[in-house]
Amino acid sequence: MRKTRRVVLACLACTPGLPLMLRAGSGFATGDGGELDAAMLRSLVADPRRARLLGYRYRAQFPAEDHPDVLTDLIRSSLGLPDGRVAAITRASLLSVLDARVRSEFGVGNIVGVDGWLLARTEARLCALCE
Amino acid sequence: MFVDARTLPPKFIIDADVCIVGAGAAGITLARDLCGGTRKIALLESGNFDFDADTQKLYAGEVVGHAYTPLDRDRLRYLGGTTNHWQGSCRPFDALDLADWPFGVDELAPFYRQADDICQLSSHTFEPMDWSSEEARPLELGEGASLKNGVFLYSPPTRFGTAYRNDLAAAAGLTVYLNANLLQIDTDDAGTGVSGLQVACLNGNRGRARARFYVLAAGGIENARLLLNADQVQKSGLGNQYDLVGRYFMDHPFVPLAATIVAHAASPQMRFYDHHVVRGQIIEGYLSASDEVRRKEKLPPFAIGIRPAGVNVNEGVGNLRLPPALRNMMSENIANRLTYYLPRLLNRMETPVTWINDRLWLNPPGAYTTVYTCGADPDPASRVTLTNTLDALGMRETRLDWRLPADLERNMHRAHELLAQELGRSGTGRLRIESSATTGYDPMEDLGEGHHHMGTTRMHDDPRRGVVDADSRVHGIGNLFIAGSSVFPSYACDDPTMTIVALALRLSSHLKSALG
Ligand SMILES: Cc1cc2nc3c(=O)[nH]c(=O)nc-3n(C[C@H](O)[C@H](O)[C@H](O)COP(=O)(O)OP(=O)(O)OC[C@H]3O[C@@H](n4cnc5c(N)ncnc54)[C@H](O)[C@@H]3O)c2cc1C
Repeated sequence: MRKTRRVVLACLACTPGLPLMLRAGSGFATGDGGELDAAMLRSLVADPRRARLLGYRYRAQFPAEDHPDVLTDLIRSSLGLPDGRVAAITRASLLSVLDARVRSEFGVGNIVGVDGWLLARTEARLCALCE
Repeated sequence: MFVDARTLPPKFIIDADVCIVGAGAAGITLARDLCGGTRKIALLESGNFDFDADTQKLYAGEVVGHAYTPLDRDRLRYLGGTTNHWQGSCRPFDALDLADWPFGVDELAPFYRQADDICQLSSHTFEPMDWSSEEARPLELGEGASLKNGVFLYSPPTRFGTAYRNDLAAAAGLTVYLNANLLQIDTDDAGTGVSGLQVACLNGNRGRARARFYVLAAGGIENARLLLNADQVQKSGLGNQYDLVGRYFMDHPFVPLAATIVAHAASPQMRFYDHHVVRGQIIEGYLSASDEVRRKEKLPPFAIGIRPAGVNVNEGVGNLRLPPALRNMMSENIANRLTYYLPRLLNRMETPVTWINDRLWLNPPGAYTTVYTCGADPDPASRVTLTNTLDALGMRETRLDWRLPADLERNMHRAHELLAQELGRSGTGRLRIESSATTGYDPMEDLGEGHHHMGTTRMHDDPRRGVVDADSRVHGIGNLFIAGSSVFPSYACDDPTMTIVALALRLSSHLKSALG
């Protein structure tokens, strides 16, 4: 359906935030030595409901990545965390590693268009994990 | 002194050293600067002190090609010309913008400084950081960033006819002839010099103007029309031996909702790129490609502004289109004024409309839209020609065929990618590019124009590539000059009027030395 500008603006009014902003609040225990798995990564996303929609699109665009394990591995390696253990890492520092990664991807142009949104590759993968 | 040409004796003769045609930004600037000493200056103005519907109809024309505001609405034909409804956005061209011009930015710099004052700007600085404040500050773009900040300063806006009317009345040696239309440019038999101008009033009175030098300052479309209509000796029109007059018409494509941005609510970075007031001066920041990226990626000069999203005064009323029935009930002038003044007025005031707008869903916090405008390579197929329809004075009307830059959408997309990267890198927000393929909305459907008419008598040292030379003199004609944006050989994303004023001052200094 062809949208008018007014419709776009009205839709935007219902989208006050994006899922991509990372969630800083409570979550997994700090320094618990747990596996950096899909569930843990998902818990970092501020708005999983909205992330799901973008994630769905991302997976359709990149079918080779359409599996939680693949996505988790890709995110883990992009963060430079070698063995997947987060023994010494707190939630806060994991968030800051992620944030730095996302910013640097934007800086070097490692971005991907999903549903019109231009996202850093890693945050797009995080969305895809929520799907 | 002002003289109503309708009251002159039939077959009147006007004698002057310099005869200028058109009292808009270009003509008024030139006339004010030229007068002094023993010089005799005549300024012919088609209109009167105020709007008149019959005079305005002389601007009627046909629009083919891309949609464009009707030609008799876009421009205004009375003292002060189109500055009677311009918006006042000012910015000088920079070195890269003038790359295709026969002179560089140093040549224009002193004239730009004067132009700031003539356009009544409160400051000479266009350095974005000089306009940074707590509430509105530009994005911090690091070394090697692909974007750079810029800033437009807004004139009050100066209505040249009103602001300088007293000066024009008092200036020694200057006579402004109102209701005096240039009808025909007469030349010697060889077509190498202008021998006089035929002048006509709508009440039937006619006469001639004779001068050593003649300057056409009738606006970016009309200058070309006047040359093309002057086909008595040179059959294709004056200065048109290489079929250049009327070609390379340029305007700024203006895309009001190219992308949406989600950022932190009330972000001072977002506010900087919308109209706001700093130390009493209205300014508007914008983002464009850094010189290096522009060169490397062959991007056109572009400017991205940012507005709060929503059906707000910036977007909704800002593009006010009056229903035809309402427009028909009003005189064109009132309709024009309403269309252009009301949005600006609302934008700058805390009114119930802005209050509601800001506080209701219409303006979601943290949601913004971008506005995009750009320059492009001049296109010879984008042009002004003449139709066979005659106006009330018997002159052929114009036909405008505006062609959009070929790579407009691709470049707009790339510009927004660069912005998205910068927003993401700085942690300011995220951006969504609107397109029918992704979001179902095609911003090109709302594409408008900047109302800037440029390029139709372009400047180039080589007569095969330009209508006027570096002094704004029509190639091959010793005493005919052109003032206004029709001489721009290329354009950036900056609005033209400040450069029109600077060029008029430069032409004035050339004519002064030619007059001795
Ligand atoms: C809605 C709108 C908003 C704008 N906003 C901006 C802006 O924000 N910034 C910016 O830089 N520019 C803006 N512009 C453009 C700006 O108005 C023009 O660049 C400027 O007015 C051009 O000056 P000029 O003297 O060349 O032509 P004009 O101002 O158009 O003056 C031409 C004069 O020539 C007279 N004339 C025409 N034909 C004849 C004839 N045959 N004989 C005698 N006299 C004749 C006319 O009556 C008129 O007075 C805007 C334009 C519009 C329409």
